[in-house]
Amino acid sequence: MSVAEAAGLAIPVRRRRLSIHFRPSRLVLNVVLVLVAIFWLVPTISLTVISFRPEGLFGISGWWTVLTAPSQLTIQNYETLLSTGFATGGILDSLVTTAAITVPATILVTVLSSLAAYSLVFGRWRGRTAVFLVIVALLVVPVQVALIPVAQLYDAFGNLTGLKLFGSLPGVIIFHVAFGLPFGVFLMRNFYTGIPKDLLEAGRIDGAGEWTLFRRVVMPLGLPAAASLAIFQFIWVWNDLLVGLVFLGGNPHHTLTIFLFSQTRTLAANYWVISTGAMISIVVPLAIFFSFQRYFVRGVLAGAVK
Amino acid sequence: MARVVLKDLTKRYAGGNLAVDRLNLEVADGEFVCLVGPSGCGKTTALRMIAGLEDISSGQVSIGDKVVNMLPPRDRDIALVFQSYALYPHMSVYDNMAFGLKLRKTPKADIERSVREAARILDLERFLDRKPGQLSGGQRQRVALGRAIVREPAVFLMDEPLSNLDAKLRVQTRAEIARLHQRLQATMIYVTHDQVEAMTMADRIAVISNGVLQQVGTPKQLYEEPCNRFVAGFIGSPSMNFVELKVQREGVMRLVCEGTQVVLDDAMAAQLRHLGLEAATVGVRPEHLRVGEPEGPGLRVSATVDVVEFLGNDALIHAASEGRDVVAIVGADTRLAVGDTVILSAAPRHVYLFEPQSEMSLGAR
Repeated sequence: MSVAEAAGLAIPVRRRRLSIHFRPSRLVLNVVLVLVAIFWLVPTISLTVISFRPEGLFGISGWWTVLTAPSQLTIQNYETLLSTGFATGGILDSLVTTAAITVPATILVTVLSSLAAYSLVFGRWRGRTAVFLVIVALLVVPVQVALIPVAQLYDAFGNLTGLKLFGSLPGVIIFHVAFGLPFGVFLMRNFYTGIPKDLLEAGRIDGAGEWTLFRRVVMPLGLPAAASLAIFQFIWVWNDLLVGLVFLGGNPHHTLTIFLFSQTRTLAANYWVISTGAMISIVVPLAIFFSFQRYFVRGVLAGAVK
Repeated sequence: MARVVLKDLTKRYAGGNLAVDRLNLEVADGEFVCLVGPSGCGKTTALRMIAGLEDISSGQVSIGDKVVNMLPPRDRDIALVFQSYALYPHMSVYDNMAFGLKLRKTPKADIERSVREAARILDLERFLDRKPGQLSGGQRQRVALGRAIVREPAVFLMDEPLSNLDAKLRVQTRAEIARLHQRLQATMIYVTHDQVEAMTMADRIAVISNGVLQQVGTPKQLYEEPCNRFVAGFIGSPSMNFVELKVQREGVMRLVCEGTQVVLDDAMAAQLRHLGLEAATVGVRPEHLRVGEPEGPGLRVSATVDVVEFLGNDALIHAASEGRDVVAIVGADTRLAVGDTVILSAAPRHVYLFEPQSEMSLGAR
């Protein structure tokens, strides 16, 4: 609220000043910014337009012809794609599968990273720094290095316990969580080190145990970091193709990326499905981003000390 | 309310560093005791051990009749006001004060009553819905005090609560804390490096240096009967002048060096003779120095005026006597100017003698 108000107040003032003191440098700057913005938006705009054009037009004319002939726009692609409903292997089924992987993977990484960071920063045990350094070192391990060993582990685990991880959603989720944690711990720990220790001591004197301190003091203050971590992790898992492809092997339910990927392989030029499907797959991360961005508040610690 | 007893309280850090060395102190029920000393002397560490935020290396802390060494802070029935205030920035003033009570499962109505009462005492009623970030330093300080008050602890611990306030606000809040103490009749242990704060507020003061307790006493006792040179120099502002003098036994027994001499009265002379000392450190407070020759025995310094600081009611003279600085407080109507030669004197009862090696007070004045 206050940010919006402040912005709303600031803009007219700035505009007035611009009209009074005309500065060429300002104009040049704005032109450059607009150009950059257009340049960045072109792929998204073109994808959007393609998804709203009839399938047959793709090979005949470019998407920009829509500027002169807007009548060609139609929602027919969406209707066709969504008409299959939640049939296994269809786009809505893939959407559900992706969400079923992404949501738990994101929540787990955010919560576990926060807990680990709390212990690393505010705990009183030996070797905290060493453990943190090992975690940071894990940041450089690339995903593809772990694919085969983990697949083997899953297999062995399955044979031993009868719980099938390979080819199942929990298997994919565990993999994503394991690979999200190093970055998550790194991010949360660096944020938590900025929280004054006095606050926790005040909490301890007020009667809070560790769990209460985490939940009532540290976590609320760490929200901006937790929100950015959640967004990063969500988008990373949502857009993942490789892990899903390997660990969902044999599972009839696909992720969205696998669904889109399979369109390029089986039907060589199925661009209408890809563009329309891609549009559908973008909607969720966008919604997540805009609903979480309000947690990016600067100065959460203002007034804590001094 | 409860008394606090520290028995041989010691904090030894890894590496053998002694922060607090066998501290013995009894704080009576309802008493206001200041721990005072230069920064790094261990006073805050001692306070944190009482609070339970620091492990105790050896010794004992009792609150009430209970040894609390092994109890976590929340079970010690204490409240601590931090130097940094340590307010929860994401909670309103009301919630900051109510947090401790909520955690103790106090009924909502009682919390409301306690917080409103504390807010009334501290003049915070208008700010209850604000966040700490929207408050001034003085207001934050009052919230920190309020958070301690609502808990109605047996002991209030305060760690330099005024050091982040500007001079005017500090004097104001000082009076506020003193009033609070009278009103609540609670046991308070207050840490500060500022002897003025300690002198003005405390029932008794404990002076600490290098982790060792130097002297405990009422402000008057510490001012009038400092047990050693450190306490004599630490208590009082501006601080006491010191000079090393040699004993001269020809004629009337006196202590001398260039520019300064002390003609000893009988009691002092007997004391020095008894101890067989050949030298002594002499201390005299600036406010006890007078311009003019001494009448009878006592101290006499001749010096050249360096700086005259006019303070309104009186003036501060910085003078040099054979390379030694002497500070004296004289009347504001002084005609002394920079470069003047001045004779300063003090009566025997204002002259403090210290053993030069141990720096202990010789007790005879």
